[in-house]
Amino acid sequence: MSEKNTTQGKAQKRRSRGRWRALLTPLMAIVTALILGAVVIVVTDTSVYDAFGEGFGAGLLRIVEVVVTAYGSFFAGAFGDPARMVRGLSTWITTGDGSDWVQSLYPLTETLRYATPYIFAGLAVALGFRGGLFNIGAEGQYFIAGLTTVFVGYSLTGVPWFIHVPLALLAGILGGAAWGAIPGYLKAKTGAHEVINTIMLNYISFRLAEYMLDVGGPMARGDGRPVSPVIQPSAQLTQFFPSNPNIRFNVGFFIALLAAVFVYWLLFKTTIGYEIRTVGQNPRAAKYAGMNVPRTVVLTMALSGGLAGLAASHDILGVIGFMPNSFSSGYGFDAIALALLGNSHPFGVVLSSLLFGALQAGARNMQAIARVPLDLTDILQGLIIIFIAAPAIIRALYRLRTPDEGEGAVMTRGWGQL
Amino acid sequence: MPPVLELKGITKRFPGVLANDHIDLTLEEGKVLALLGENGAGKSTLMNVLYGLYTPDEGEIFVRGQKVDIHGPGDAIALGIGMVHQHFMLVPVLTVTENVMLGMESIKNKLFLDREVAAKRIHEISEQYGLDVDPYAMVGDLPVGIQQRVEIIKLLYRQADILILDEPTAVLTPQEVHGLFQVIRSLLAKGKSIIFISHKLKEVLEISDSIVVLRGGRIAGSALPQESNERSLASLMVGREVILTVAKEKAQPKEPVLEVKNLRVMGEGAHVVVRDVSFDVRAGEIVGVAGVQGNGQTELVESLTGLRPAQGGAVRLLGKDVTHASPRVITEAGTSHVPEDRQRDGLVLSYPIADNLIMNTYYLPPIARGVVLQEAAIKERAERLVAEYDVRTPSIMTPVGSLSGGNQQKVIVARELSRPDQLVIASQPTRGLDVGSIEYIHSQLIRKRDEGAAVLVVSAELDEILSLADRIVVMFEGRIMDIVPIEKATREDIGLLMAGIHPDEHGADVVATKEAA
Amino acid sequence: MLKKLWVLLSLVLVTTMLVGCGGGGAGGKLKVGMVTDMGGVDDKSFNATSWKGVQRAIDELGIDGSYLESKQQTDYATNLAQYVNQEADLIITVGFLLADDTADFASRYPDTNFAIVDFGSLGDNVRGLTFSTDEAGFLAGYAAAAATKTGKVATFGGINIPTVAIFMVGYEYGVNYYNQQHGTNVEVLGWETAANDGVFVGNFESTDDGRRVAETFMNEGADVIMPVAGPVGLGTAQAVKERGNAWVIGVDTDWTVSAAEYKDVILTSVLKNMDVAVFDTIKAVQADDFAGFNGENYVGTLANDGVGIAPIASGAVPAGISDELEQIKADIIAGKINTGWAEYSASLE
Repeated sequence: MSEKNTTQGKAQKRRSRGRWRALLTPLMAIVTALILGAVVIVVTDTSVYDAFGEGFGAGLLRIVEVVVTAYGSFFAGAFGDPARMVRGLSTWITTGDGSDWVQSLYPLTETLRYATPYIFAGLAVALGFRGGLFNIGAEGQYFIAGLTTVFVGYSLTGVPWFIHVPLALLAGILGGAAWGAIPGYLKAKTGAHEVINTIMLNYISFRLAEYMLDVGGPMARGDGRPVSPVIQPSAQLTQFFPSNPNIRFNVGFFIALLAAVFVYWLLFKTTIGYEIRTVGQNPRAAKYAGMNVPRTVVLTMALSGGLAGLAASHDILGVIGFMPNSFSSGYGFDAIALALLGNSHPFGVVLSSLLFGALQAGARNMQAIARVPLDLTDILQGLIIIFIAAPAIIRALYRLRTPDEGEGAVMTRGWGQL
Repeated sequence: MPPVLELKGITKRFPGVLANDHIDLTLEEGKVLALLGENGAGKSTLMNVLYGLYTPDEGEIFVRGQKVDIHGPGDAIALGIGMVHQHFMLVPVLTVTENVMLGMESIKNKLFLDREVAAKRIHEISEQYGLDVDPYAMVGDLPVGIQQRVEIIKLLYRQADILILDEPTAVLTPQEVHGLFQVIRSLLAKGKSIIFISHKLKEVLEISDSIVVLRGGRIAGSALPQESNERSLASLMVGREVILTVAKEKAQPKEPVLEVKNLRVMGEGAHVVVRDVSFDVRAGEIVGVAGVQGNGQTELVESLTGLRPAQGGAVRLLGKDVTHASPRVITEAGTSHVPEDRQRDGLVLSYPIADNLIMNTYYLPPIARGVVLQEAAIKERAERLVAEYDVRTPSIMTPVGSLSGGNQQKVIVARELSRPDQLVIASQPTRGLDVGSIEYIHSQLIRKRDEGAAVLVVSAELDEILSLADRIVVMFEGRIMDIVPIEKATREDIGLLMAGIHPDEHGADVVATKEAA
Repeated sequence: MLKKLWVLLSLVLVTTMLVGCGGGGAGGKLKVGMVTDMGGVDDKSFNATSWKGVQRAIDELGIDGSYLESKQQTDYATNLAQYVNQEADLIITVGFLLADDTADFASRYPDTNFAIVDFGSLGDNVRGLTFSTDEAGFLAGYAAAAATKTGKVATFGGINIPTVAIFMVGYEYGVNYYNQQHGTNVEVLGWETAANDGVFVGNFESTDDGRRVAETFMNEGADVIMPVAGPVGLGTAQAVKERGNAWVIGVDTDWTVSAAEYKDVILTSVLKNMDVAVFDTIKAVQADDFAGFNGENYVGTLANDGVGIAPIASGAVPAGISDELEQIKADIIAGKINTGWAEYSASLE
């Protein structure tokens, strides 16, 4: 008996060590992506070639200068400048003027703000994956939720914020959920594959938004532009730094964290999550166990759509304040990568969203300071995903040991099953 | 003369597992060497080493006295070693000739497949070994037994003279097994040598010239068939004394629990595959459904458990009509179901044991309160059932997929038989399991019977039916051929019924019945 | 191996962190920042043209100019904040989608100058840069009517918004004026000012849509097509080039230059000289004479060369037409010809 216990203990220790090692691969993937990104920055910078014209030493120096400037501004844009934070904090303490301190936090808040819709959308796709469904429609659900949330946001007047904000959020959830439930229903009742249907519904949602918002459309502002009216102040998500309107970090981030905890609880601690996961892992076994597979599929897609909808609610109620017809953000597609990166685990999604948020915020600063095009983020994101999807490359590169088998990634089943 | 094949000290390690530990084997020309062992004993690993799919960590292989290195199936084939896998590697939409040619096509005019030449060769091989295969038949249309012969032809076409047959009888009727053994004998007569992998003691004793028993990656012993019996081989395999015949009292049947009247069920592709089936199962008895796979048993069970709609007829459970009830209603009405394909239907392989044990009670107290799962209750149940049903696992959180087949089945049996249900439907309950697990599961089913439950066992293993059932329902092409009380059942009669022949009819009617259907 | 890498990495990190926030002003030079919309600076359309104006100012006026691209709606404010923090003297935003954010920043930073392309004024420190493209479209319509052999000319837009539709309005009026002058009956497909409706592909990206619409128009007999949809029009040009026997009218820039591969099929281009407007604005700020301070905006017209048309392909129209176009241009400047703006505005109400 005691022998059995020690083996169990050892196994557990091995497992926790394995978990740390599991983090090493993504970390090295990020580092490798940054190194390759540096190569791209250097070879696309004409000043490097000019410097090499002056001499080899000058060229090398220029390479270092280019990379340091680029990534310096990148990290400063993603996490802030520690020196400036310290200075800002001391000014605040000594003079009571906290504006420098707040401003020094701006990069960090941008990272969190970019991460917020990523968390929602990533959770949406991850939940779908857990339920065996490939929701490529997060982008469309985001659009529809944008319409419903902005409508409640601007049309409802004279209600206090503690009613208006929840109502507007709910509108976003319901809009996204309804749009997600459609392909869920089609899958459950007719077996039509959700990949096809969510893609098709994306197009429909784009055109529907165009119709609603175009000049003369039912939801157009009426100033000759294809944009919605601005939401009422009572529908705005609480901003944390009202003294500095450039900082748009708002309560939405914490709603996103709550959503992640909720999804975790739902998936792993409730009978509903048990049904979702069972249908996702083995629909035949789910049917055998007496679960209502079609209902679970519809529910999963609706929940997924609702989460994607919250991304739109955050952007409208917390950041933009209205909805333009070109609302597209690409979140729906990045979300697939986020879910994969996070192994479809809610907390993994939060981590990968923070990473992507930092990439986005850092890239904007890198563009402004180092004049490196924003497209570099796409390259970095792409490289990170490739390295994480094909960890063998990273392991070969750094001679890491193969982790224990059996912790496969959660993905959907193949085509046409259920 | 050196032996045709000799393995010396073959050792193969996987991380944490010693799959083969210094295995020595000798195969003489024109002989059958049987490789006997439970699942996980190392038989497949050893054969994969021989076939070049794994490289051994230690040890040497000699073919006809020559030391060889085998780096892939190509090398193996070049050395005249061929393997018929348990799951056939055939393309159903191609003809026999095309299947045989795959991978070594004869080409004419540098461009076109030369089917005629190949077909002629296949015909010759077929004649020579009494295989009786039409080179132009579509493989998908052939019975399983003939498909197996196509696999053998594939090897002979590639001039293999060492044939490895991996569990070749698992999918055959008793009559087909008989045919296979004739083929094996004619192969031996032509100087071929055969490694016969099985866990069926009776067959091994019948066909082999020598027997090697593997257990836990080591050689547990060797034996000669004439000096052995089932009991001695079984204890070598399991490592302890095994009771082969199931000890059970005479049944005391009481009121009918399950009544099936004129049930009709459609299979995939809208064919009626269960035709007007009527029978009942009484409390305190085991009814066995015998039949070759694919004669409607699968669909019958799916229909009885609510997984497949009935097209006609009626099913009554404890007097209540459940013909069109959902799986959940049927379960809640008191049915346990051990499904035919445990990995496909009965388990979620990535889930830990604990989560698999709650699959049809997850929503009921004490497992759930409202929608919230009660982890303490789940854990408590898992600990109890794992101990009670002897599931061998490091922990209740181990994913079921990493357990052996026998332990996976024990998880299902624990889940299903631990409920106080009045009806137990067990479909192929011991398929692919080792002797120890089979013994255990049989005893559990009999325990259920003795506790007063009605038990329906569906199995393609005639031995299993004969040792478990109190009454035997024989199915052929969707119909019930006969219902035979165990006292009147003989292997031969049931075997004939399974092939669609009433024992009192003449044997020549086989073909007629087949064609009529 | 790993350890070394870590050391190297932390070193790089520390240095980059320290250096990262450097980058001061360019000392004395006028600092101009341009924020693009989601099309990006190389959209071959109004972002690119506006940037051309900044580049010209860099060359000719010696200013310090740069741009920041936006990938999504929320980036506009991020990029505006960047320039505000870098203490730019003039921030130019491109496109009406930036109007809300531009107005917000302009009100919060009253000492910074702003200019917005394709939108009216948003405050005392914002100069709106708008264009009477109906005037130039009118000339293009007249030329199209002169060039057609089938008696049918066509146009389509990206999305039905005023800055797009105004091209088509002028085009229709120009065709009608030609009919009136020459007693012809050339028909316009794809736009009707009175109905405020026409053919719109619904985006500014899909060259496939541009090709599809062009093929439809050509099947209906049109032999001159004016696509007002940015890069979508390149698909149109491709389709026309493959089919032959038809003309394309470029928009925003001179397509014989910016899309030279289709030179053979380009009849003319409606020029919306945003580069001129941007350059003028930068020049005004440098001279401390920013018209926007007084709420006065820049309106590009034929008169100030803010709009115009490119030279017409040789041999495409009868000899006298260029003289007629000169006369019409003079008449429009003099206010003697109606180019349709009033009717179009009325239809929006």
